[in-house]
Amino acid sequence: MVNRMVFSNILHRPVRTAVSVLAVAIEVGMVMLVVGLTTGMLHESAKRVEGVGADILVQPPGASFFFGLTSAPMPAKIGDRLAEIPRVVAVAPALFQFHSTGGLNMIYGIDMESFNRVTGGFVYHAGGQFEAPYDVLVDDWYAKANKIKVGQTLNFLNHDFRVAGIVEHGKGARLFIPLKTTEELSGANDKASIFFVKCSDPAYADQVIASIHKLLPRYQVISVREYMSLMTSNNLPALQAFITVMIAVAVCIGFLVIFLSMYTTITERTREIGILKSLGASKVYIIEAILREASLLCLVGILAGFAGTVIAKKIILASFPTLSVELTLQWALWAALLAIGGSLVGAFYPALRAAQLDPVDALAYE
Amino acid sequence: MEPIIATQELKKVYRIGKVEVPALQGVDLLVYEGEFVAVVGPSGCGKSTLLHVLGGLTQPSSGKVLVDGNDYSAMSDADRTRFRRHKIGFVFQRYNLLPTLTAKQNITLAQHIQGNGFNPHRFEAAVEMLGIQEKLNHKPYALSGGEQQRVAIARAVICEPKILLADEPTGNLDSENSQIVLNMMRALNRSFRQTILMITHNPEAAAVADRIIRMRDGQVVSD
Repeated sequence: MVNRMVFSNILHRPVRTAVSVLAVAIEVGMVMLVVGLTTGMLHESAKRVEGVGADILVQPPGASFFFGLTSAPMPAKIGDRLAEIPRVVAVAPALFQFHSTGGLNMIYGIDMESFNRVTGGFVYHAGGQFEAPYDVLVDDWYAKANKIKVGQTLNFLNHDFRVAGIVEHGKGARLFIPLKTTEELSGANDKASIFFVKCSDPAYADQVIASIHKLLPRYQVISVREYMSLMTSNNLPALQAFITVMIAVAVCIGFLVIFLSMYTTITERTREIGILKSLGASKVYIIEAILREASLLCLVGILAGFAGTVIAKKIILASFPTLSVELTLQWALWAALLAIGGSLVGAFYPALRAAQLDPVDALAYE
Repeated sequence: MEPIIATQELKKVYRIGKVEVPALQGVDLLVYEGEFVAVVGPSGCGKSTLLHVLGGLTQPSSGKVLVDGNDYSAMSDADRTRFRRHKIGFVFQRYNLLPTLTAKQNITLAQHIQGNGFNPHRFEAAVEMLGIQEKLNHKPYALSGGEQQRVAIARAVICEPKILLADEPTGNLDSENSQIVLNMMRALNRSFRQTILMITHNPEAAAVADRIIRMRDGQVVSD
């Protein structure tokens, strides 16, 4: 009976219902998309590093596992010494550059021969390898997002580059230029930002890392397996704070809208609450009825939020193919729990106020 | 025979800001089971306040109220609510049906609140007696005033309360519908020995009752 009353109330006030459902849907969608985008981008970036095929990453002293926060590059000749370590089969240096046209993009300056030894070589969708110093390879996602074709000229780092090939994504960066060109452009001759080290068997990674530590005691040496485990938002304090703030904002939106919605409802329905009290409805009965109404609004909002998030993901990926949105069941459950919690807390005060209304005043309410 | 309602020196004072407004000023009243009592008097004489106190909707300021042997002054708000749920039925001038529910849902809501679940025999008996079988799936806005009041009476008696308290039940009705509602209340009283205490301005309505109590300035002036 209470459910029927709740359902009738919800249908009786379609605008209020729609606004409340929308607010909860936005809350759920915001939580899932913020987390989905940040973790998606982070994991996609990590997967690209993993996709290089190396077992170990060697970076300069004080470097962060988060590429781009790297300090000054290392001498390239270190690569020769790394290659001499037993169980190491290939070493590929890369010098990082950034360009910010159309978003922040990392460019790998690579030595094609050594990079191919570590990665097993690029898979070309179109075109082929570098033919000239100012040639660039772009991955298929970047090419799709920017409608790039082989032979086209791209301007970045204040130079024109000819697109020599479009390669399968997942090999570190989205843009690759020759190592020598990168060195010239950055004035860092014979330098590398990172060395990708491939072992004869990934099982030897720890053994090789120990050898590298002996050889280069202050350098940052990390296995790709460990790197993958570190690439989470928990290890990036600023990102974690951003996610927390965005979730808090989303929960506040849901809480405030449900609070206002239920508060308005009990003001509108003061007389009806008086009627229930005249029939002998207890405070608990009235609180339960209002909390059930808020829960039902919230439940519909959560479902709408899930559907909206899936649609938003498709739109985001169609509009920005280089982005990655990782929607997980775990965060869907968290978003739902946060929405339910926020809604119940938001509805509790109005429910309590309704339960405490004086029946005579409520019945006289116009 | 023990009275079903007994009040002694019953007083009720409302505070509006810093002003005290005495609504009941020492009401002594005895009502016996099965009686149909009409309370009449001018506006502001305390009739509705008396009804609210007897129904446990508000607490008296002083004096004693015994309803079916229960002393309201010794009962908490929750106890009075529970008592009202099982022993009191209300009928209001403005019908007070829930607008989002159908007539049937409005009636069965009282059974649900009482906690005994849906009783089809009692429901059918009440609906048949009040002649609202054809209107059960209608919402209040689709019912005439007379029909709404009959639904309200059905809701009030569905749980077989000891006392039916009616606050100007014909106040919003035309004479034809007023007569129908009064006849039904009379029938309830005669057929089921339903104790009814009805407030009214209407002398014709009061004439239906077994007994007429007149109030003025918060006191009973004639019985």
